[in-house]
Amino acid sequence: MEPLPKRRKGMDEGVDSWEVHPILSDEQSHDIKLVEAFAAPIINKKETSRLLKDLATTYPLPGLQHIKRVRARKSDKHPHPLEVVICLVDGAPEVKDSKEVSLTTLLPSESFNSSGLGEPFTVKIPAHPSLTRPQFEQASVHWPTTFHEDKQVTAALRGQLFTAAQKAKMHKYMMTAIRAAKAGQEQGMVPVGAVMVDPASDQILATAHDCARGTHPLLHAVMVCIDLVAHGQGGGAYDFDPFPACQFTVPDRQPVEGSSDSVAPGSTQEQRGEPYLCTGYDLYVTREPCIMCAMSLLHSRIGRVFYGTTTRDGALGTRYKIHTQKELNHHFEVYRGVTQHLCEDLAEEPH
Amino acid sequence: MRGRGLKIRMPSIGNDLVKQDFSPPNMDDIQRWMAAAFDLATEALENGEVPVGCLMVYRNEVLGKGGNEVNDTKNATRHAEMVAFDHVVEWCCSRDLNLNQVCAQTTLYVTVEPCIMCSSALRLLNIPLIVYGCRNERFGGCGSVLSIASDDELLTGSSFKCISGYQAEEAVEMLKRFYKQENPNAPKCKVRKV
Ligand SMILES: [Zn+2]
Ligand SMILES: [Zn+2]
Repeated sequence: MEPLPKRRKGMDEGVDSWEVHPILSDEQSHDIKLVEAFAAPIINKKETSRLLKDLATTYPLPGLQHIKRVRARKSDKHPHPLEVVICLVDGAPEVKDSKEVSLTTLLPSESFNSSGLGEPFTVKIPAHPSLTRPQFEQASVHWPTTFHEDKQVTAALRGQLFTAAQKAKMHKYMMTAIRAAKAGQEQGMVPVGAVMVDPASDQILATAHDCARGTHPLLHAVMVCIDLVAHGQGGGAYDFDPFPACQFTVPDRQPVEGSSDSVAPGSTQEQRGEPYLCTGYDLYVTREPCIMCAMSLLHSRIGRVFYGTTTRDGALGTRYKIHTQKELNHHFEVYRGVTQHLCEDLAEEPH
Repeated sequence: MRGRGLKIRMPSIGNDLVKQDFSPPNMDDIQRWMAAAFDLATEALENGEVPVGCLMVYRNEVLGKGGNEVNDTKNATRHAEMVAFDHVVEWCCSRDLNLNQVCAQTTLYVTVEPCIMCSSALRLLNIPLIVYGCRNERFGGCGSVLSIASDDELLTGSSFKCISGYQAEEAVEMLKRFYKQENPNAPKCKVRKV
């Protein structure tokens, strides 16, 4: 008798069994960095606006525009309700021991009227602006900062970016990729599947599986999928007749009305409203692409990538984050976790 | 003259390469094969493709060559190197030779530093050595943007050595001419297969 499976297997595993996780850049996902600064209580509130003006001239704090100079202390523990950042410890003059600093070393009385300020103390303040709400919340524990919130990133981090209906579609597309992976496996290939979708028309343009083993070592599922999309646009470089599960569809997205006549010859395909490479398309792939495949997607101007499970040398989150690499000329969104368990169930083999 | 502007950095070829019966190219080899690669780049330019040309050489025999075919195939991955890799795969397949063993003794000659995609493909194929012209500031995978060629933490494939700087100015000039005269995103009508 077969041992009982640890969890439900197969097609009945539903939309509720997985979550989508956005793969953000390192800058967005790492913990905030802190720098040491000197601050002081404002013991005479009436001096606040003058002190702020004078401090802005004496210590302008370049690169720290996100820092709110004054913070309010609401609790009863603090006798003075307002505190102000004077300067960075690194930017302070002649301070040997930051614990024994005095107001006159930081603000010499001949050049600065420090009346209204109490004795300085050290404090850690956020070194960079927050890019995500978790970073903002972390920063706020130390010192108040401004925050230009990206609502989409916040929603994505909370798992609220996609509706139930959208998740159902993602589930459907990934199931198609999983079926392709299994069809490839039956022909002796590594079980990896990929599906290219035009989200504007909800049309599946290409379905692919890995064809690398025994044929061409570079024909990973993503490479096959990109070439099948090219076939659908009248191009393509490879013949996939031996692999019937690798299929393409000619996109039926109509050119923008009148544009094909009014635009001069020699204009780009995009200007003529024709599909160009994978611009704006969504890729569903059962596991995280390697560097070659991730960069192929970038060259192809992919819109978004959804993958099921991570890989050891993966280039969309694990080892590299090609989609957020600053120097590169195209960036795209990446989400992990779509039908994660089913994708993990596809046999893991060295690739 | 082809030999002009010769600024080449030679890496030390490790014992691992010697063990595999791989004899690294001498300066005459480099000049000969790079001249052919530049001819292919010129051909790509004339076909409205990004001017990059390359050759795959195994024991003094050209197994594969290529120029960029992105516009022709409507496939953004059809870089010169990928086109040449296909020829090597076919060559091995038709002779029933082991691709890994052949690649382990094959050198790539290419006018421009391979991009991140092609560098990763070179790792997957276990190519030990490449010779290239100018840096690829936009997409380079041998140091310009990422160092896929030498990343020791990557478990996929194997790292490879680079000889760089051969006729770099000429290669840059060709790229500049290409990007000046046309939008790289604008595919032209088919030129080649008329
Ligand atoms: Zn891959
Ligand atoms: Zn390339």
